[in-house]
Amino acid sequence: MNYVDAGYAAALGTVLVYAVSLVLRRRRWERALKMSEPAAEPEGTPVRGEPS
Amino acid sequence: MTEHVIVPRRPRWLDVVGVLGVVAMGFTVWLGLWITPPDVVQGNLARLLYIHPAIATVALYWAGGVAAGGSLLYLWPRTRSFFWDRLAASAVEVGAVFSALTLVTGSLWGRPVWGVWWTWDARLTSTALLLLLEIGYLALRRVPADLDVRAKRCAVTALLVAVDVPIVHFSVDWWNTLHQGGTILDPGFALHVHGIMLWTMGLSFVAFTLVFVWLLGVRYQVEVLQDAVGDQDLEVSLSERWSEDPELVGVAGSPAPQGSGGTP
Repeated sequence: MNYVDAGYAAALGTVLVYAVSLVLRRRRWERALKMSEPAAEPEGTPVRGEPS
Repeated sequence: MTEHVIVPRRPRWLDVVGVLGVVAMGFTVWLGLWITPPDVVQGNLARLLYIHPAIATVALYWAGGVAAGGSLLYLWPRTRSFFWDRLAASAVEVGAVFSALTLVTGSLWGRPVWGVWWTWDARLTSTALLLLLEIGYLALRRVPADLDVRAKRCAVTALLVAVDVPIVHFSVDWWNTLHQGGTILDPGFALHVHGIMLWTMGLSFVAFTLVFVWLLGVRYQVEVLQDAVGDQDLEVSLSERWSEDPELVGVAGSPAPQGSGGTP
């Protein structure tokens, strides 16, 4: 592999790997958000920011 | 400042930008590696210059500009919003990737042309410093803190990082450097690149800019989701704490539950 091929491979490969990692991170956090959302608020549960 | 994190829907335009970026990148590689002729002086090594300046432009001006601008707008009281903080943080991370690529592609060009992988040249050193500062910013962002505290300290840090951007830009004018001056334009705006070589280089700038916008958009979504999960976790923890200990209900900073009448 010459310097030119190595340069293109490094640039495109890094951008591709980073892009895929971002998509996977986004998917993981979307799943985490879905899991952390309370299913249903029981009656009398405190609501953050609500006036008393 | 207390703000419930609202997760926006994925914008459709971001997908369009991503597709356009891939197409433009494909054409750049095709033109750069197969269509353009070898340079009279540098031969095939000049093909690296179709991507290196575009990558450096993204790292320095696009990412640096968004990070500095977003941080300034966050610190300015009239425009303060976590949108700017998250956008700046996203730009710094994407910028760090492109700063590293700038150094790698520059080094791969420098080895056969200059005879060295690395030299303590002002342009190279200031670019390496930019990468280190960006890594420092990202490390600081991971330090646990209230969202507002984190945003303020990161905004100030991003502005300090941004000081290096004009130093990188003007390094070839301020010091005697091995790195050449303007690659495409000299200070008198005389073009050094022509014909298909100029078009390929121009397309490369468009391609990497589109890719940068897409990466920035997705990274911003990750940032919002991270904060939203943290917000939800905090809500769950507070709810559990309140249900365990009714005495805590209504204390300063903790809102009272509905219908409990639990003001202190």
